Amino acid sequence: MAQTEKKAGLLRRTASSKKPLKEKVVLMYDEIFAKEDPTKNNPRFWDELFLMKVNLEYLEGKLEALDGDEVMKIKDNINSLFHHCVQALGEEHQIKVVNALQTLCALFRGVHQKNKSATGFDIINMLMGFDKAELRMKELMESLDSLLCGDGSESLKSLCLKLLLCLVTVTDNISQNTILEYVMINSIFEAILQILSDVSSRAQHGYDAVVLLALLVNYRKYESVNPYIVKLSIVDDEPTLDGLGMVIHHALTEYNRQYKDKEEENQGGFFSTLTSMVGSMFIADADEKLSVQTNEAILLALYEAVHLNRNFITVLAQSHPEIDIATTPATPVPASPTTPLGTTPPSLDMMNNPELPLDPNLQTSNLLITFLKYSSIIMQDTKDEHRLNSARLCLIILTCIAEDQYADAFLHDDNMNFRVNLHRMPMRHRKKAADKNIPSRPLVCAVLDLMVEFVVTHMMKEFPMDLYVRCVQIIHKLICYQKKCRIRMHYTWRDLWSALINLLKFLLSNETSLLSKHNIFQLALQVVNLFNMFITYGDTFLPTPSSYDELYYEIIRMHQVFDNLYCMVLRVSTNAGQWKEPASKVTHALVNVRAIINHFNPKIESYAAVNHISQLSEDQVLEVVRSNYDTLTLKLQDGLDQFERYSEQPREAGFFKELVRSISLNVRKNVSLSTMSQDVLLKEFSSIS
Amino acid sequence: MGDTELELSPARLEELQKSPSSSSTSTTSSLSLPSSPSSGPRPLTSSSPSASEGLPTSSPPLDVISEGVGEISLVIDTEVAKKACQEVLQKVKFLKTDGEASSPSSEPVLVNGTAHPEPADGGKPPKINEEEAEPVKNVRRRQKNNSSKQSWLLRLFESKLFDISMAISYLYNSKEPGVQAYIGNRLFSFRNEDVDFYLPQLLNMYIHMDEDVGDAIKPYVVHRCRQSINFSLQCAWLLGAYSSDMHISTQRHSRGTKLRKIILSDELKPSSQRIRREVPQPPLSCPPPLHHGQAVSEHSLSPSKRTHQRSKSDATVSISLSSNLKRTASNPKVETSQDEPVRLTPQREFIKSLMGIGKRLATLPTKEQKTQRLISELSLLNHKLPARVWLPTAAFDHHVVRVPHTQAVVLNSKDKAPYLIYVEVLECENFETSSVPVRIPETRIRSTRSVENLPDCGITPDQRASSFSTVPNYDNDDEAWSVDDIGELQVELPEIHTNSCDNISQFSVDSITSQESKEPIFIAAGDIRRRLSEQLAHTPTTFKRDPEDPSAVALKEPWQEKVRRIREGSPYGHLPNWRLLSVIVKCGDDLRQELLAYQVLKQLQIIWEQERVPLWIKPYKILVISSDSGMIEPVVNAVSIHQVKKQSQLSLLDYFRQEHGDYNTEEFLTAQRNFVQSCAGYCLICYLLQVKDRHNGNILLDSEGHIIHIDFGFILSSSPRNLGFETSAFKLTSEFVDVMGGLDGDMFNYYKMLMLQGLIAARKHMEKVIQIVEIMQQGSQLPCFHGSSTIRNLKERFHMNLTEEQLQVLVEQMVDGSMRSITTKLYDGFQYLTNGIM
Repeated sequence: MAQTEKKAGLLRRTASSKKPLKEKVVLMYDEIFAKEDPTKNNPRFWDELFLMKVNLEYLEGKLEALDGDEVMKIKDNINSLFHHCVQALGEEHQIKVVNALQTLCALFRGVHQKNKSATGFDIINMLMGFDKAELRMKELMESLDSLLCGDGSESLKSLCLKLLLCLVTVTDNISQNTILEYVMINSIFEAILQILSDVSSRAQHGYDAVVLLALLVNYRKYESVNPYIVKLSIVDDEPTLDGLGMVIHHALTEYNRQYKDKEEENQGGFFSTLTSMVGSMFIADADEKLSVQTNEAILLALYEAVHLNRNFITVLAQSHPEIDIATTPATPVPASPTTPLGTTPPSLDMMNNPELPLDPNLQTSNLLITFLKYSSIIMQDTKDEHRLNSARLCLIILTCIAEDQYADAFLHDDNMNFRVNLHRMPMRHRKKAADKNIPSRPLVCAVLDLMVEFVVTHMMKEFPMDLYVRCVQIIHKLICYQKKCRIRMHYTWRDLWSALINLLKFLLSNETSLLSKHNIFQLALQVVNLFNMFITYGDTFLPTPSSYDELYYEIIRMHQVFDNLYCMVLRVSTNAGQWKEPASKVTHALVNVRAIINHFNPKIESYAAVNHISQLSEDQVLEVVRSNYDTLTLKLQDGLDQFERYSEQPREAGFFKELVRSISLNVRKNVSLSTMSQDVLLKEFSSIS
Repeated sequence: MGDTELELSPARLEELQKSPSSSSTSTTSSLSLPSSPSSGPRPLTSSSPSASEGLPTSSPPLDVISEGVGEISLVIDTEVAKKACQEVLQKVKFLKTDGEASSPSSEPVLVNGTAHPEPADGGKPPKINEEEAEPVKNVRRRQKNNSSKQSWLLRLFESKLFDISMAISYLYNSKEPGVQAYIGNRLFSFRNEDVDFYLPQLLNMYIHMDEDVGDAIKPYVVHRCRQSINFSLQCAWLLGAYSSDMHISTQRHSRGTKLRKIILSDELKPSSQRIRREVPQPPLSCPPPLHHGQAVSEHSLSPSKRTHQRSKSDATVSISLSSNLKRTASNPKVETSQDEPVRLTPQREFIKSLMGIGKRLATLPTKEQKTQRLISELSLLNHKLPARVWLPTAAFDHHVVRVPHTQAVVLNSKDKAPYLIYVEVLECENFETSSVPVRIPETRIRSTRSVENLPDCGITPDQRASSFSTVPNYDNDDEAWSVDDIGELQVELPEIHTNSCDNISQFSVDSITSQESKEPIFIAAGDIRRRLSEQLAHTPTTFKRDPEDPSAVALKEPWQEKVRRIREGSPYGHLPNWRLLSVIVKCGDDLRQELLAYQVLKQLQIIWEQERVPLWIKPYKILVISSDSGMIEPVVNAVSIHQVKKQSQLSLLDYFRQEHGDYNTEEFLTAQRNFVQSCAGYCLICYLLQVKDRHNGNILLDSEGHIIHIDFGFILSSSPRNLGFETSAFKLTSEFVDVMGGLDGDMFNYYKMLMLQGLIAARKHMEKVIQIVEIMQQGSQLPCFHGSSTIRNLKERFHMNLTEEQLQVLVEQMVDGSMRSITTKLYDGFQYLTNGIM
């Protein structure tokens, strides 16, 4: 009762103090920055402060304006402010909690913006004081943890996450953010997981939680023990992992949907300007390009989950039919998605729900399918740096997936057939395949399709060498699995063969320009070894005997490419130079391909001569091939079915550092506490006595 | 009373066995127990307190059970029941001896009031007159012969030959409350499995017959419900299903509905558990009943002893309905075994989930979508497993641990969505008391640990990777990464090697160049090509994947092969008690007729076995869950003849040759014999039960050559759409005859002979078959009971009045008629046109 009276009095005073130019809260801020202890004149200063609406700009501006000496003078007051913020988080009065959260955010930001050069320790000292830092941060993290896990208001939870995102992204390089050391010690991992496992909280805060998790995992990843990495790697609770997958799934689905809408929008113009705009349809219009940047964090989260957590692989194949249904064309605000994320829980509750609205044309989807579709969109255009990074990350994720036995098992599962509509770049020489005609096949076919698609569409001047290497490696890993498990996929291998041969052709014709930047021999070797896999181990994984014949036919048909490649690598390897070694490896790898060409070409020529045919048909060539196998001897090459397993460190460390930096910048830009409208909060909490 | 008096000649016993139903309406036997209904059961009930004196707990009289709902605290022990029976018998004997004293039993025995004196030579009683018997005459005779007849009845009841079938028969036919009460008590002395077979009959009588029968049956049912969760649920389901034909207003207040409610409210708990709860430590003075004792010892053996010390508040956490089926992942320490309030719930939730899936699948238009949806729904279901759930169709106790969701298939059906799932289970001693297996993550099998290192079935919760809510204990858990191992996170773990030459070492490009120095290995391209074609040729014939018929491939795969494959891919596969089961979930179909057919088939199978007639049939288990849902135990290694023909594009005979070899190989001959024996068996079944809708989609062919008829949706008095098709006795196409070696072959004669033998044997035990059907007719609206002459027609098909020679002629006629029947062919054509079934 006394409290209500007090509050009423306060409010009245606030109202009356509106007359001067500065609002009351600003005056109070000024007091904090006035070196004096603000409680000297007003013992209830802090109580009152948190009852007032925060002026973020003013507070941040004030902090920024300080210079070094001034800072030291008011350090005690700032420490005190921080301390009282943390204390206010435990208040019953939710307005106070809200204000404290926002004030904390302003503090973190303001201090960092000012002190870009300052060391982390100085910042900690300035905010909390060295001696108290550990205690304060512990209190802060515990308060946040209990707010996030409690039954409190959803807006509060959202604010907590925003504060954390704000804290995590105050520095460009996350690893230089020394305060995070306390976030490592006082883990909020459990709180994040709880948000992800609960259906309704996942819907509202899932996106932020996932982004936060992805960032925290990347804190000093390579230098120290990050408890978030350890913890993420051992999570085995399906509902939680599923929740994580759903958030990612939803974010990617949303992007795919937007892209499709946009594509359909442009369709009319597309046909009219078909000839002039081929291939550059979406690249041309930079403004309209959908921002891939916003999905970098989500993609990173997917990567970390796939890479670190063995159990997450099962989530990839987990279908969520309700997700596709639930997609409402809502406005996509990346930082705070307002769309309901899978509002229907994948639990018994959902199972008991008798009738779901089902669209007969709806295809069941899962995270992997959505990811493949997303990748197909991203890979269409790799000119932009963010897109290139995203495409690279997509391929890295696929590499991890292709290496995982469990993932391989369901990729190749004959019972799990799906139609996957990959996006294909419109190109002059091919028709856009009708979506409806895609057969329902095991998922590995979609992965292979995507790889073939990439190989075919990226032979350009700005040759994305490392993406090609990854791409060929993924194919290789899948084939190794098929060979080992004797799985015979009914895949049109011919598409892959001709794509690979064309790639070799491209490497040959651009030898000089490419060699200045890349080691093309490494890629050539991988491609030739893929052919060697088919030639020597084809019996273990090819679907039919005739597909083996077709392989030979394709090699013989394109023999010129192999001949030229051989000439080139022979030439390079005989010259001294940096490419001597890698080139000679390619010459050795080509031995069987050359044996095939040298064996069959004369036979085909004589067949033509005997039968007086100038141009042999495919069937005739196949006939020659079939009848002349027995006189051909091949050399068994070593290590064809072995591959280097993916490892993040040290090779990829640089890439991830840069990626995390980019994500940090983007998140920092988009996290805005002010978007959380004060009105909403007030409305929500006004009923509280 | 000398022992000799109690001995009955087998011939007479047989008569006694047969008589109750044949004399059903005209007369009733009456014991000279107090015959007024009100006082009838009294002697029985009053006897029970004295009988239960030997038990530690004081038990209220038996009849409390039949009335009381709330305070049922008595468990009827078999012992008690036996004693009660004996006491009743004793009393009857006394009365009987009194009667004997007054009128010596020198008269010819009148068995059960059959109007005809038993011929001394033991010949068959002429049944023709039976219905014309005049009641008036009987009354006098009955009075006169009451006592002697009772004596016979008693002797029968006490004799070893009195089996459950007879008990059911007397329970159904006797109008005498004393006899009913006696048999109700006598049920306790039969083996559980024997009574279980007649559970549908018992419960149907309970629902639809008069009070006395109900009162007689109830104590037994209540007793069994207390003992077993499985029995409780079966009862509840059957009670629901068989009450559904009642008018809605009467249904609500009917006995069956009430009993169902009591069972489902889980009031029928084993009372011993309650005792145990009151006394946490089993007191030495009062050892708990045996199986609980086992449970306790088992628990104390298991390392998760902490369960017992869990506070009540912990236990209640997992009680909320939705979390019942939830596995205990978030807190692996939670064991549900002690949570009594949820005794029935996990299983009910499990079944409900399966039915829910079926309902939702039915809304999808294409098979492809259904299949995808099914797989995804099942994978979600997997998250809640292992749990204390089981497949009621299985023959052994087990816990379901995983549903290999990708193996599930949608079956062919036009508008419903039945589906077949495979279920991985771990066999256990007792699914109620054994602890639920601990979950192993899907990906575990492919982890660092090689299969040998995986802990055996005794994986403890502690050994599991710590869940996120607990602080990871690195020392205890070798799965978790120790702090120093963090660098290894980036290095993925080596795979399990299946083949020595597949060893995956770190590939270095040098390996090729280094190979140069070594002696190169050469291979012939021709060999590779040859191996490829050979390997493809040697794979057993499989069916091609057909999106319109997704089940064909799955069903064609040999069961053993499938078990091996699924076991390899399962994280539980290494456990020695791992088993694979399968079940068809039917949603929207009434399986009560199927259940009836199953019972009849099973009974005939037993009869033929008993009479040593080598007929082969395969009754498949049916679980009725409600009047429009249930589960079916699939026949393994069998595909429908339709699928065979469509996939192979061969005639049946050619398919036999393809699968089993040429005419004179042993495999072919064995398969042919199997075909003939099963064909004869099912022809008889089809004739006796009037099974209709016999198209090739409803006839399976197993890998040994047997045919198996499925889908008994049209039997007895019902037939599809009444088009007048299928007038022949059974389906016998020329293709079938071809497989048997043609009309003149030995095998065809063998076939006809088998039919004759089978019919003679079936006729001998007709009553056992009739009884099953007749009881189920009570209160039933099932189409198979349509009209008033169902039972009479069924009896007529056994042709009791024909000589064996006449029977032989009959069989010849039926075979002839079926062969020549154009309607069979017409019906196949009709099916092809309407349903696309070949």
